[in-house]
Order: sequence, then structure tokens, then C-alpha cells
Amino acid sequence: MKIAKLAGKLADPASAEWGSVEAAQVSLGPVSLESQPTEYIRETWKGRKYGQTAQAAVKAASDGDRLYLRIEWADDAAPNKEFQDAAGALFPADGDGNLATLGAADKPLALWYWEEGRGSLNLVSRGPGVVTKDGNAGVGANGVLANGRWSVVISGPAAMAAKGKVGLAVWNGSNEERAGLAAVSQQWLPLESD
Amino acid sequence: MAATTKTSNRQLAWVYDLNKCIGCQTCSVACKVLWTRDEGEKHQWWMSVNTMPGLGTPKAWEEMGGGVDPVTGKPRPGHQPTRDEFGGGFDFNYHEVFYGGSGGKAHLEPQAPRENRWAMNWDEDQGAGEWPNSYYFYLPRQCNHCTNPVCLTACPTGALSKEDNGLVLRDEEVCMGDRFCMEACPYKKVYFNYDRHVGQQCIGCFPRIEAGVAPACVRQCPGRAVFIGYLDDETSSVHRLVKEWKIALPLHAEAGTGPNVFYVPPLAPNRLNDDMSIDYDTPRIPPEYLESLFGPGVHSALDLLKSEMDSVRAGGKSEMLSTLIAYKWQELLGPFTVDPATLTPNGNTGA
Repeated sequence: MKIAKLAGKLADPASAEWGSVEAAQVSLGPVSLESQPTEYIRETWKGRKYGQTAQAAVKAASDGDRLYLRIEWADDAAPNKEFQDAAGALFPADGDGNLATLGAADKPLALWYWEEGRGSLNLVSRGPGVVTKDGNAGVGANGVLANGRWSVVISGPAAMAAKGKVGLAVWNGSNEERAGLAAVSQQWLPLESD
Repeated sequence: MAATTKTSNRQLAWVYDLNKCIGCQTCSVACKVLWTRDEGEKHQWWMSVNTMPGLGTPKAWEEMGGGVDPVTGKPRPGHQPTRDEFGGGFDFNYHEVFYGGSGGKAHLEPQAPRENRWAMNWDEDQGAGEWPNSYYFYLPRQCNHCTNPVCLTACPTGALSKEDNGLVLRDEEVCMGDRFCMEACPYKKVYFNYDRHVGQQCIGCFPRIEAGVAPACVRQCPGRAVFIGYLDDETSSVHRLVKEWKIALPLHAEAGTGPNVFYVPPLAPNRLNDDMSIDYDTPRIPPEYLESLFGPGVHSALDLLKSEMDSVRAGGKSEMLSTLIAYKWQELLGPFTVDPATLTPNGNTGA
């Protein structure tokens, strides 16, 4: 996926600038039940579907200072009062990492995280839901829900593009998805500067 | 990922004497003013007292699952109590009543939809049974600081820890607000702070404990109905009531988490017959109901209490009743007898 060089209101998912950027279609699948970190989660989600968001469209752009990722996916489920929809962009913190399990204890991933109503968090992910806060580090995010589709722009320092690849994760709040109960992209998406 | 830092077998425990609890909510308010007055904590009552039988707080908590399956030993699914099920934390129409010029006709009421109204002590004094044999008693509840804390083992971020004194504490910086703890807890005593997006629960007043001061719920109880101490301290009232005399029992022990809050079960008057004569054979609180709360040990506990009372009535002495009466009130406090008035803002005692 090419990172488009652009200027303008890239933090706004509805901004016209995004119209010129080509989207990559990304296949997602559930983070495996076996990899979930606690017996409680494995037992109580056994036989219960999650991570069913199968497809997302992603665009990448940079204005030189910041890297912007615009993630769009279908979500027509009724909102849940307790749990909100969320999305994340994952980067290998140290060369490589296991995207399917959202990282591992010895191979953490950087996670730029957005949640409806909560805004953005800069996290380190060491497994499904095994996350720690890592300061703000200039991560920001905005989401818009329109016509049954979320459009979310997650952004952070442009230097992250040097990691060379990105993964995506989506949490469906209507289905009480949180922590490691997510849909994650099936493979790393290469990030290439334009 | 769930972690524990516990390196000692000490365990703090509380004993509530339900024959002395008058449902005054002083413990609840003592806790509230000390710990839950910040943003997102309006609906939180880490200490609460409910009328039993009743739906309690959160509404119908006893039907919400969680805990450990007694057959498989595996965690049981639980429901995460919602904001509406906790209820409370209402905004009231103070302005309309006091300043709006309509104080003569408006009355104070919560500004929440009427059909959703519930709160910490909503079903106070309703109880059960038909006149003249209606009955109720009060049940104070807090985090049980369980020996097998399923909140801790359910948490994916390792935010909870079992401390050396047995308290179960949460690092709010590590908590991500995933709320598996709320599902797993069979007592539904974990709250969610919707403003700060973290779980919160009773901290056992640990800063007071560290300074030798009893928790607010214990220290403030006007009925002298609460004891605290270490379960392994054979001289402590909690040890004698729980381990030696076995008249203080855990609540819903079948949930399998090893709760460390114990209750002296409530005695009750006898039933009245239709002609208003006394039925000496039937207690007004059905024993099977008490067994559903406190387990089969409740019958022998009540029998022992009654026999001790008979013995004192006959002129004898009872160490057990003297302990429960708390003639020496500092014995309620275990080793935490330091006067809270001597605490300084940095947590040390000025004494």
C-alpha cells in the first residue's frame, strides 16, 4: 500500500482529500480463541462468535509530519450501551511480530487505538488484550459513522512508516468485543512511501 | 497475564453481625465520602447495605452468574452489570424546587426515566412474607477480597493483584476497562467508571490499614456490628467467630471464590399462628432461605447462638456473646486501633 503525499485535513475521515487516495481491501478474521490470555475469556467465549468483521478498506497518507490511516468498514449493528466500536493500527515494534495474536510477550506491537466516545490511545500490545498504555506519543483519531459504515482516521508520527508494514484490528462493540476479542487483518500490509 | 504479588498467607477478613446491623448505611456513607466522590463514581457504592430478601444492588445480582463451576472448577460465565442495573447516581431537580419559584408544587425527584429507576438501597425494608409473619434483615456487602479472586484471573492486562495482607487491589493505570472482572465476580461488587474507563471496587481502605487504622466501614459502624482482623490471628475476633466458633459464615460460598467477608446469620422471632398465638417451632425467616445464602452451616450456627443466649439467660457466661456484644469495642478493630483523627495528609499518623 502506497502512502500518498498529501496536505489538508487528513485527520477528518470525511475530508475530500481522501477521495484521491486508492484504498487497499483487507481481509480480517477473529483472533483465535486459543490465544486469548485468560481461562475466563476462553471459557465464556467458547461457541460465541466474535471478530466477524470480514473486510475493511484502508488508505494511507502522510503530510510529512504525520502518518494517517483511514480505515472503513461496514457496521450496521445496533449500538451497545456498555461497549463501543473500536479500531486499531498495529506496527511491529521490533522488526517483526505475530499479527494474528496481536503481538506476544517477547515481540510487542505498537497499537494506535481508537474507540468510539473514548478517542485515541497509544498502546503496546503483547498478545490479545494484553496491552499497556504508552503515553500519548502524538496519536490521534477521529471516527464517523454514516450509512452503516465506520470511517476512522488514526494518525501518529510519520516515522512509524519506517516500520514498513501495518496491520488492522476492528472491535464490534455491539457484540461486546473488547481486549483480544477482535477481527484482525490476516496478513501484514506493506507500507511504501510514495 | 494475570498476576499476583502475594507472598504471604495472611488474609484480612471482615465479620458482619447481622443481628446487630440496623441498616443505617453509616458504613456505606463513610465509604462513599472517603473514596467515591470523584468523576464517574456517582453510582458507585463500594460498601452497600440491602434489605434481604431483596433484589439488592446491582438489581438482581444473585442471578448474574460468575464465580467457579463447582463440578469442573472452571470459571462460570457471568453478566456484566449495566449502569441501569446499578442505578442511582441521579441528578435531582434541586433548582426547580429550591430556586425556580415552584417549590410549593414541585417535589424533589430523580431526573431519570421513571421506568429505569433503581438504586443502591431501592428495595429497602420490603423484605418478604405476609403479615403478621413478614420478615427482613439487612445485608452489608463489599468486595469479598476472595482467596480465589476470579476478577484477577479473568483480567487480560494483569491489573489486579492479591496483596500480602489478602486485599485484592487494582492498578487503575494498568486497567483497560475490559470488564471481564465485572462478569467474573459472583458478588457483582466491581463498578465501572464510565468517565475514566476503568473498573473500581473496595480497596479495603488500604492506606488506613497501612497506618494501623481500621477501614471506614468498620470504624464508623454505630451498631458495633463489624469486625476486622487477620484470619490466622488466633486472638482476633474474626478468627474466633469464623474458625473457632464457626458462627460467621461466607455469603454464597458455592460460587467457589473463597470470600473473606463473613456474616453472623440473623436470628428471627417465631411465627405467629392465625389466632396470634406463637408458633415456637417455626422461625419467621425460613431456614432454607438462610441456607441458600450462607450454606448448610447456618443451622448449627443459629443453634449455637441460641444455646449461648439460653445459657446467659440462665445466669451463665458466654465468651462468644461477649465478643459479639463488643463490650470492648476496640476488639472490633483487630490490630487496626489507631485513631483516624491522628492521620496526617501524607498518610502517616501524627501521634
